[in-house]
Amino acid sequence: MAAAVEDGQFLKQATGRNTRGLLRVIILCLIAGAAVSSRLFSVIRFESIIHEFDPWFNFRATKYLVQNGFYSFWDWFDDRTWHPLGRVTGGTLYPGLMVTSGAIYHLLRALAMPVDIRNICVLLAPAFSGLTAFATYLLTSEMVPSPSAGLLAAAFMGITPGYISRSVAGSYDNEAIAIFLLVFTFFLWIKAVKNGSMFWGALAALFYGYMVSAWGGYVFITNLLPLHAFVLICMGRYSPRLYVSYTSWYALGTLASMQIPFVGFLPIRSSEHMSALGVFGLLQLVAFVDWVRAQLPGKQFQMLLRALVLAVFVIGVGGLVLLTVSGVIAPWTGRFYSLWDTGYAKIHIPIIASVSEHQPTAWPAFFFDLSMMIWLFPAGVYMCFRTLTDEQVFIVIYAVLASYFAGVMVRLMLTLTPIVCVASAMAFSQILDTYLDAKTPKPATENASADTASVAAAAVLPDGLRSTRNPIVGIYSYASKVTVVGASAVYLLLFVLHCTWVTSNAYSSPSVVLASKLPDGSQHIIDDYREAYYWLRQNTPQNAKIMSWWDYGYQIGGMADRPTLVDNNTWNNTHIATVGKAMSSREEVSYPIMRQHEVDYVLVVFGGLLGYSGDDINKFLWMVRIAEGIWPDEVKERNFFTPRGEYRVDEEATPTMKASLMYKMSYYNYNALFPAGQAQDRVRGARLPAQGPELSTIEEAFTSENWIIRIYKVKDLDNFGRDHQSAVSFDKGHKKKRSTKRKGPRVLRVE
Amino acid sequence: MRSFTLASCIAALSSLACAELNLSEPLLSKQVLPSTFTPPQVFKNTNLVRTTNLDKAYPRETINVIIENIDSKPQSEYYLPFDASLLSKVGGFEVRDKKAADKGTFKVQVVGFDAESSTEFYRIHLPEALAPGAQQTISISYAVLSALQPVPAQLGQTEKQYVQYTFSAYAPSAYLTEKQRTKVKFPNTDVPDYTTLPAELNDEKKADPQKQGSTFTYGLYNNVSAGAQQPVSVRYEFTKPITHATLLERDLEVSHWGGNLASEERYWLVNQGAGLKNQFSRVEWQRQLYMNPPTFALKGLNLPLAPGAVDPYFTDDIGNVSTSKFRAGSKEALLELKPRYPLFGTWKYSFRVGWNADLSLYLRKLSTADTYVLKVPFLEGPRAGEGISYARVSLRVILPEGAENVRFSTTVPIVDNSTSLHKTFMDTLGRTTLTLTAINLSDEFRDRDLFVTYDYPWMAGYRKPLVIAMGIFAVFAVTWVLGSIDTSIGKKKTV
Repeated sequence: MAAAVEDGQFLKQATGRNTRGLLRVIILCLIAGAAVSSRLFSVIRFESIIHEFDPWFNFRATKYLVQNGFYSFWDWFDDRTWHPLGRVTGGTLYPGLMVTSGAIYHLLRALAMPVDIRNICVLLAPAFSGLTAFATYLLTSEMVPSPSAGLLAAAFMGITPGYISRSVAGSYDNEAIAIFLLVFTFFLWIKAVKNGSMFWGALAALFYGYMVSAWGGYVFITNLLPLHAFVLICMGRYSPRLYVSYTSWYALGTLASMQIPFVGFLPIRSSEHMSALGVFGLLQLVAFVDWVRAQLPGKQFQMLLRALVLAVFVIGVGGLVLLTVSGVIAPWTGRFYSLWDTGYAKIHIPIIASVSEHQPTAWPAFFFDLSMMIWLFPAGVYMCFRTLTDEQVFIVIYAVLASYFAGVMVRLMLTLTPIVCVASAMAFSQILDTYLDAKTPKPATENASADTASVAAAAVLPDGLRSTRNPIVGIYSYASKVTVVGASAVYLLLFVLHCTWVTSNAYSSPSVVLASKLPDGSQHIIDDYREAYYWLRQNTPQNAKIMSWWDYGYQIGGMADRPTLVDNNTWNNTHIATVGKAMSSREEVSYPIMRQHEVDYVLVVFGGLLGYSGDDINKFLWMVRIAEGIWPDEVKERNFFTPRGEYRVDEEATPTMKASLMYKMSYYNYNALFPAGQAQDRVRGARLPAQGPELSTIEEAFTSENWIIRIYKVKDLDNFGRDHQSAVSFDKGHKKKRSTKRKGPRVLRVE
Repeated sequence: MRSFTLASCIAALSSLACAELNLSEPLLSKQVLPSTFTPPQVFKNTNLVRTTNLDKAYPRETINVIIENIDSKPQSEYYLPFDASLLSKVGGFEVRDKKAADKGTFKVQVVGFDAESSTEFYRIHLPEALAPGAQQTISISYAVLSALQPVPAQLGQTEKQYVQYTFSAYAPSAYLTEKQRTKVKFPNTDVPDYTTLPAELNDEKKADPQKQGSTFTYGLYNNVSAGAQQPVSVRYEFTKPITHATLLERDLEVSHWGGNLASEERYWLVNQGAGLKNQFSRVEWQRQLYMNPPTFALKGLNLPLAPGAVDPYFTDDIGNVSTSKFRAGSKEALLELKPRYPLFGTWKYSFRVGWNADLSLYLRKLSTADTYVLKVPFLEGPRAGEGISYARVSLRVILPEGAENVRFSTTVPIVDNSTSLHKTFMDTLGRTTLTLTAINLSDEFRDRDLFVTYDYPWMAGYRKPLVIAMGIFAVFAVTWVLGSIDTSIGKKKTV
């Protein structure tokens, strides 16, 4: 990329505007190509498959949209999830992603290109990453005059792992299109502010509306743009341009956002959106004052007006607080609180804390995801302070806010990435612009300009200083140019290397399919998830209800096509806690719960045989915690720890642990694979008890090849009306316990 | 069937209707006769030997019979009766002249009474009318699909499977049969149950049946009247999967530009063997894998492809199945498929496989005009010792856009054929598509060829590039026109 930029620089002097424009287009196309192709690792290594968890829901919803049309998608009530509650899916999702792929699907059909909807979904994120690179170019070009900064930013954005992590092929999630919309909306906003144009403001509102339809992260824009406007006002930079752009964005954007059923009246009722409304009001006041001031000069009057503004502002804020307290305006949601207090979620909403992407970011993650940009980024932000135009104020605010959020939640690294790319591209292009300039100022002009200065300097400074003796030393010498440019090129190369390596190794696993290496180096695919899901799909009744932990809900819905109790749309905490309780209780407690929810099959993920650490026993404590949140008397986390506070699964596991349904389902019949007493759990490195757990109310129905997925069938009620435990012990030939009163059917004795 | 077709990908959706079709509704073009119809008694069977072969997962019947015209006029229509319920399971019905087997098969036709009648007939057209008093030896062969009943119907995972077959000891006949025997060939000697007929019935007054190794013989019976039946049933060991495809869709796409013949086959398989008594136990299955004893679970399928087959794929509704191997060889290319899970009785599995091949191996241009002849196997499909049966095979031959005057010929009994247009990538008209449907086939039809002749004018091949080029030019032109329109509302700034 550096070479391309060099060319751009080189040609700047030589050829006309058109050639440079064409070159820029070609470079951008190449960048987009690089962005797309670096995201295809997983397609090449595995196949065109939807990754992870949430994308499976989006994929399923898209298929529904494509098959049933937009209106029935809008009204979609899904009775195959959250059994028996169901989910008003059409009204509780962000439809932007599905509608985008649906539109592409129908467009291609109209062009006589019947591309499978799955392939569109898989490749949507890479395609949009190309557009993101382009949007980043536009945004950066608005910030600095040098076009090379824009191209660099586009290249950075195209391949930075921080963005690739959410947009590899197959990662069909809202973020896939949302980041493009985020960056593009910001570009339009900057354009609007710079020109004071209603047109650009309206465009910004339009794309803001698209963004709202695509991702819950739109709140970031909703708060960042008002903040920008507010800061500008506070800096005394109020101008009619700001007024026009902000009001047109706010009015149209809010209307647009309210068209999404899931958002509805939130923009005027929830706290997250109040800052935008407040700044909108403030702008009206400021504009009014500004107008009055223009009409009526006079210092005291202005003082009065200022007081008025302050009073109105205070009253406005007070009113907001009052409305919030009285409940007209919804208070901040839990997810939002956890942005300010990282410990909040852990205490109050375990379900949020249980998701790994909601954890605070570890330090190395910044270097991992952003590589050299993390240290270039402050330099870029610093450079913004030097000129500090309106749009550069935006960079500063964005940088500060996003840095904070990225530190709080791993997931929000995504919002930080664009600004890091922009800022570091600005810094980097500054370096390159300075050092790549082949021109050396002519000594003559240097002398002429420095004439008086050098005379003055000579008068003051002694002759012995090297800097005064030879003024042409410094950045103009080839040595320094080569050093700096060479170092920059090395950094850029290392950056590309790092990005490719990270993408290839960390972000390109579908997680539905696991890969391992055979001793001979060939790839071996562990496909247990799909094996089990396909078994469910083919060999169970269409309406068999599957109970599993919520992580697998979307995958079961998408791949096994069976109704589930809970899924990754964690809208009903109690229902999830019910599943948690069923998993963490004794069979006698769990069985009635499962019967009440008409559960036919129970699915658990067990990694003990293979050493697959993301299994249910490792997630078990979260199930316990979430269940405890609802039934503190019946499920107690303490009971799952040994007296010494250890979480164990071996001989010394607590009785509660051993009796829990999850433990039993995970280790049922596992001993049989090993010689007596040598059963080994390879994830937790524990030797299991010699006597394996016994099951009475459920029976093993299917276990995948590597034991990763185990499916159990919930038994029907016993034909003789016995409880399952005695039925099982009867079948085994044990004597019936005396205390049971119920008698079996009388048998005629024939002798 | 419904469960997996409903949410399967869009391509498969079109097949939903076909997959739902019941077997009891054969699409044969029936000539309905009044219920009073009985075949004219113009023949008698002088000697009849019927062989029931139970080697495979579907019983194969072969009837060798000497027929004699007892009428005063030459006769050419010979009838063979079947129960209506049995008729829907009979497949691959073929009749040959025993003396001249290589002369090809006779023309046969299903004729039926009205809906209430329980008996229906195959009408066999003898190529040459039989003179009065003359004799001819004909060989009638057919397979009975879905006829084996696992008894017991549920088994432990490692147990032996026993299946039961019920049939009539008398061969089906619409005429008097003077002498007849029925030989039953079992795959092994483990036959725990079979019907013993009273010795009086038997002409030789011997124990009925006679046992010789794994072959049982019922008969000899003398002067069995027309339509007589003597139900017997046998139960024997068959620890093999009873693989049955409820539907096979097979697409062959001819591309003249690419010089490629793309094949894709979509299977809906079910194992008709015994179900599991207890649930599936992975421990037992893994333990068993080392010993590799015979099992009634379907573990894998071998799909022999013609040499030159390349780029095979094996996918199902949720993506690629990684457990397949492809061995390309000079004689044949073998595609070894392993379903995601072993198929025990009553378990289902649906999947698709596809591959490409060089078109020049299959297509020839006739010297006259723009006519092409395509020679492809009607059915490829897996090869297995125990056999595979297909309830319904739907073959689509997708010819290039603009192909016309499509004719075909095959020896496989076809129940339906149609020509339509299939619109796909960048087509303006749609590609000419020949759809052939056959029911109740077995894997014995693997090597039968299908010949398709069609005209493909020289110009038709250039339609697509021209259309695309024109489309792109149109886009450029529109862009240029739109770009040169001035939409600004303010006054133009003067520089």
